[in-house]
Amino acid sequence: MAGNRAASRAETIWGLLAAHAARRGAPASVADVCAVCVQTVGMSGAAVTVSGKSSPGHVMCVTDEVSEQIEELQLTFGEGPRVDAAADGGPVLVPDLGADDVTGRWPAFGPAARLAGASAVFALPLQIGVIRVGVLDLYRRQPGPLSTDQLGDALVFADTATVLMLDRADQAAGDRGGGIGPGGQPWQLALRRAEIDQATGMLTEQLGVGMEEAFVRLRAYAYAQDRRLADVARDLVARTLRMGPAPGPRRDGAA
Amino acid sequence: MDIELLPEAFVELADTLVAGFDIIEFLHVLTDRSVELLGASAGGLLLADPRGDLRVVAASSEQARLVELFQLQNDEGPCLDCFRSGQPVASADLSTESRRWPHFAANASEAGFAAVQALPMRLRDETIGALNLFRDAPGPFGRADVRVGQALADVATIGLLNERTLRRSETLNEQLQAALNSRVIIEQAKGKLAERLGLDVDDAFNILRSCARRTNRGLSELARAFIDGSEELLDLSPGKTPPSPRG
Repeated sequence: MAGNRAASRAETIWGLLAAHAARRGAPASVADVCAVCVQTVGMSGAAVTVSGKSSPGHVMCVTDEVSEQIEELQLTFGEGPRVDAAADGGPVLVPDLGADDVTGRWPAFGPAARLAGASAVFALPLQIGVIRVGVLDLYRRQPGPLSTDQLGDALVFADTATVLMLDRADQAAGDRGGGIGPGGQPWQLALRRAEIDQATGMLTEQLGVGMEEAFVRLRAYAYAQDRRLADVARDLVARTLRMGPAPGPRRDGAA
Repeated sequence: MDIELLPEAFVELADTLVAGFDIIEFLHVLTDRSVELLGASAGGLLLADPRGDLRVVAASSEQARLVELFQLQNDEGPCLDCFRSGQPVASADLSTESRRWPHFAANASEAGFAAVQALPMRLRDETIGALNLFRDAPGPFGRADVRVGQALADVATIGLLNERTLRRSETLNEQLQAALNSRVIIEQAKGKLAERLGLDVDDAFNILRSCARRTNRGLSELARAFIDGSEELLDLSPGKTPPSPRG
């Protein structure tokens, strides 16, 4: 793992989150992500909103009043970085709300957000392929882009928030102790392996569930077996492991 | 390099660039054509994620062994050197590179590759990724090969920027992250389809790709539709042998 810069970045960030949570005396949560991300990436504020048919744009946590206002404005006007990030499938990075093209893009939100005190906004979808749980919205009082390094950090914070939210939704996760949850320490997830995504897809068929639940179950299995996520995924793809109802006699390791 | 293939390659790239543009499909066509034009045995295209790793977005074959050869280059290898220096990096004989790239050279040789060429994808002062080509016989990639290969790597960068006008995204970083997530969707769809049909993921990918072409849809969009159940890929039946585009 030492050689992989993404993995070391994820490990460092997880360390910061765990330390922040420990000071609160609670397991790491999305609120820690917001607070620590703001400090680390040099932002003025952050908010996490939840995706969902029932409550699109529902605010899960927010660090300050301006962030809260930014979310309200987007809800009211139906436009803004979070709205576009949710629709587009990628982050929305706007280093200067005062720039000409912003007025055309967000005629209502743009000026209102600037009045509220934001000059730069960055919205990062919380997603893994088709799995989408929400958006991390960042703002800064000063205009200016994120450096590559800051963007890298922000993306890892977003990844961590995604996993934390998936765990939150998973009823059984609470039993597995505090912190990041089963089988998916951030640095393991940072070792982006195609097999993990393929195995997730396979599990939707093996277990008859959606992609989000398949991913949660995959991680839960890795945790229960005390195995690295990538290794479990590799076995599933190689078909030496199968989960859920099997068509014939079970092979080894079926969960 | 087989110069006869050049015009056809450009026509196909231009077509893919314009009609129903899908960035992952485009990068796949580019990778396939690069391998073919340069007389390579295999190849892949990697993009640099700001998180800190090089991510495979397209490969001439989805065989796990090949993909692994790209993934492990996050620690050492021609792609990493190419990305860091912004310069082409090559080896005409991987059996002599055990000091330069101990882990990578051993794995590449074991996979049957003897020579490698990595070409940077450059945008102004930045290197955003690399095109990585393998041959199964030792020997350097010739000057003409390297020039055409570099031009193709540059076209890949242009393709990524082309997305901007279609997606309303403002920066390369936005496009890159969207492309990387599209890749994840395709991997998820591959797994789901492979399991449903009892095939391996390589074959599942070929089915998705040929279905997308046949129905003139974006590959990523088709993958997403298949996953959410709105696309049943109706012209498949489990017993059918999937066609392989180039064998």
